[in-house]
Amino acid sequence: MQPFNIRPDQLAEEMLDYSRKLGKGVENLLNSEKIDAGVTPKVEVYREDKLRLYRYEAPADVVQSSIPTLIVYALVNRPYMTDLQENRSTVRNLLAAGQDIYLVDWGYPDEADRSLTMDDYINGYLDRCVDVVRKRHKLDKINILGICQGGAFSLCYSSLHPDKVKNIITMVTPVDFQTPDNMLSAWVQHLDVDLLIDTLGNVPGELLNWTFLSLKPFSLTGQKYLSMVDVLEDEDKLKNFLRMEKWIFDSPDQAGETFRQFVKDFYQKNGFIEGGVKVGDRPIDLKNVTCPVLNIFAEQDHLVPPDSSRALRNRTGSKDYTELSFPGGHIGIYVSGKAQKLVPPAIGQWLDERSR
Amino acid sequence: MSESAFWNEDWMKTQQKYWENWTDMSRKAMGVQQPLKSPLESAMEHWWQGLSPGADDMTRDFMSKMMAQTQSYFRMAEGYYSNANDSKNWQDAANRTVADLQKLFSGDRENIFGGSEAAGDDALHKMMAFWEMPMDNWQRMVSSLSLIPGDLLRNMPHKDGLDRFLSAPGLGYMREEEGQYKQLTQRVVEYQRCLSEYMGFFSNLGLLSANRMKEKIEELANDGKQVESARGLYDLWVSSSEEVYGEQVMTPEYAKIHGRLINGLMALKQKLGHVVDEALGGLNMPTRRELCTLQDRLQESRRESKAMRSEIELLKEQMIELRALVTSKPKASSAPTKTAATPKKKVTIKKRPPAKKV
Repeated sequence: MQPFNIRPDQLAEEMLDYSRKLGKGVENLLNSEKIDAGVTPKVEVYREDKLRLYRYEAPADVVQSSIPTLIVYALVNRPYMTDLQENRSTVRNLLAAGQDIYLVDWGYPDEADRSLTMDDYINGYLDRCVDVVRKRHKLDKINILGICQGGAFSLCYSSLHPDKVKNIITMVTPVDFQTPDNMLSAWVQHLDVDLLIDTLGNVPGELLNWTFLSLKPFSLTGQKYLSMVDVLEDEDKLKNFLRMEKWIFDSPDQAGETFRQFVKDFYQKNGFIEGGVKVGDRPIDLKNVTCPVLNIFAEQDHLVPPDSSRALRNRTGSKDYTELSFPGGHIGIYVSGKAQKLVPPAIGQWLDERSR
Repeated sequence: MSESAFWNEDWMKTQQKYWENWTDMSRKAMGVQQPLKSPLESAMEHWWQGLSPGADDMTRDFMSKMMAQTQSYFRMAEGYYSNANDSKNWQDAANRTVADLQKLFSGDRENIFGGSEAAGDDALHKMMAFWEMPMDNWQRMVSSLSLIPGDLLRNMPHKDGLDRFLSAPGLGYMREEEGQYKQLTQRVVEYQRCLSEYMGFFSNLGLLSANRMKEKIEELANDGKQVESARGLYDLWVSSSEEVYGEQVMTPEYAKIHGRLINGLMALKQKLGHVVDEALGGLNMPTRRELCTLQDRLQESRRESKAMRSEIELLKEQMIELRALVTSKPKASSAPTKTAATPKKKVTIKKRPPAKKV
């Protein structure tokens, strides 16, 4: 069979259709209002420097778990990815699953935050947030849900403070940073991180964006925009796209000293696997993580390959380890319709079984 | 555009109608009364140039990206159609299209896509630019880190002979200052080399992608699958390019090139920073080096102050518990008893790790 079946009249129709959609789409673009993200009502319960700790308001008709869960987001991009819009919100669905949700928003570091270390983030900011939540609920231990780099931070935290963590959930979290399919890892092996940080201070969001877009340049900086013609006509879908676009390019700078240690210890030395990571004066040992662990990863993740996350299996000191494999990508696990139905309910059920 | 009757008649007429509508809309957005006349071939660009001032930054950026892709997409569709018109069968049309892509990336841009385009044509350049996307992204990033827009260093000369001159020792009273500027220039030259190496790496990938596309077309034929739209053709090209790119950038060779590019830029920026610091110091103004020292010291002080505050909070809590014990004690001791009262909660003093010292 011939592989092309493109008739002239079809081609004309296709071009015409494209042009029509593009024209209408531009009209919608020009008329579109300011794009907001982060839709679930929340209250600020603690602030320190640029950090904000929020508690999300639970629906009135849902009984909340007595053990709250603290979401620890990455320093890369912004945490509203977990609460992008009404029908695509991990936070909202976790609340609906009966969980009491707090979230750490790290803010936008500037040059004055250049000297913040991993010790400051993990034993400082994060520990104080955990203490605030523990105190509010009069509990010794709470649940922690770490996302991507935030998951790595959460594992470090749980290793250092096992007495404060009831259950830990890691989502798309890198553990083995040197799996053969890890493109980011391959690229930073010859990077002089000291030179980078000594020169730039903080790592600019633009540099991070360039790196992430370079993983799939043709899809992420080209094809994606052509595909969007199909949704430009639909105002709701257009808004969804613009929210994602806003999130992708809303990329805070990273505090230089934290980036220096994170890249050297994890990407270059594969610290969770090979050991040798210290936060403050104390070594990180995953065997100290003895609480129940739920490890969630995405099968088509191009940023954190599934094998990188799977490496957590048999490496913690926990006797209660569960994996959840999601058929999607690094971002889809938070925003896709499929994820809304699968992931938060599964987390809720897993936590309920361990929070009694 | 080609001279094919199809492109010049039905489709073009229909397109013209849409361009006119869009141009009309752009005039409204700009408040222009007179109709904007533009050649049909570049109507889309003119349309968007007219419309974009009425758009906000995000929309403008988004649409610019979309327009660039649209031109690649249209160009590919037209190229395929032109080849199909001149071919006897699908194999011939597919071979011609792939051959055009191969010629495009090997620098021979004469008589491709139906013989309608010559070297330097803007639409062709746009299509070439598709494979310049990784480079374009890098330039945007470099521009964002620089005071001056654009990557001005991209086209600076960096001949080998310059090395010898720059390596020569300075002489006389100004030798140190001369040395600084020579080092700065050396780093410019080094960054140039890294950039050329990076661009060189990508130069061959377009050709490899065209070959991969040919393989994919053959696979489609073998599997009995069909591409039924220009969009499908474009997607095939994207997936071929992405596959080749994904394979090549995972090689140890690329990891080194990538590392050298960023290290080269950072070394240059660092030297530039030192030169600026020297100048600022000469003017008795604060330098970046001083600011970094202050930031480090300030952060250390804040670390200590936060640790102390935590300890004070802990001590306060313990004081409250102890007070509660003391106030409950008289009741127990008011009547001389034989056994001492036992506190309900044992007071424990948690020792925090000492603050890190520099």
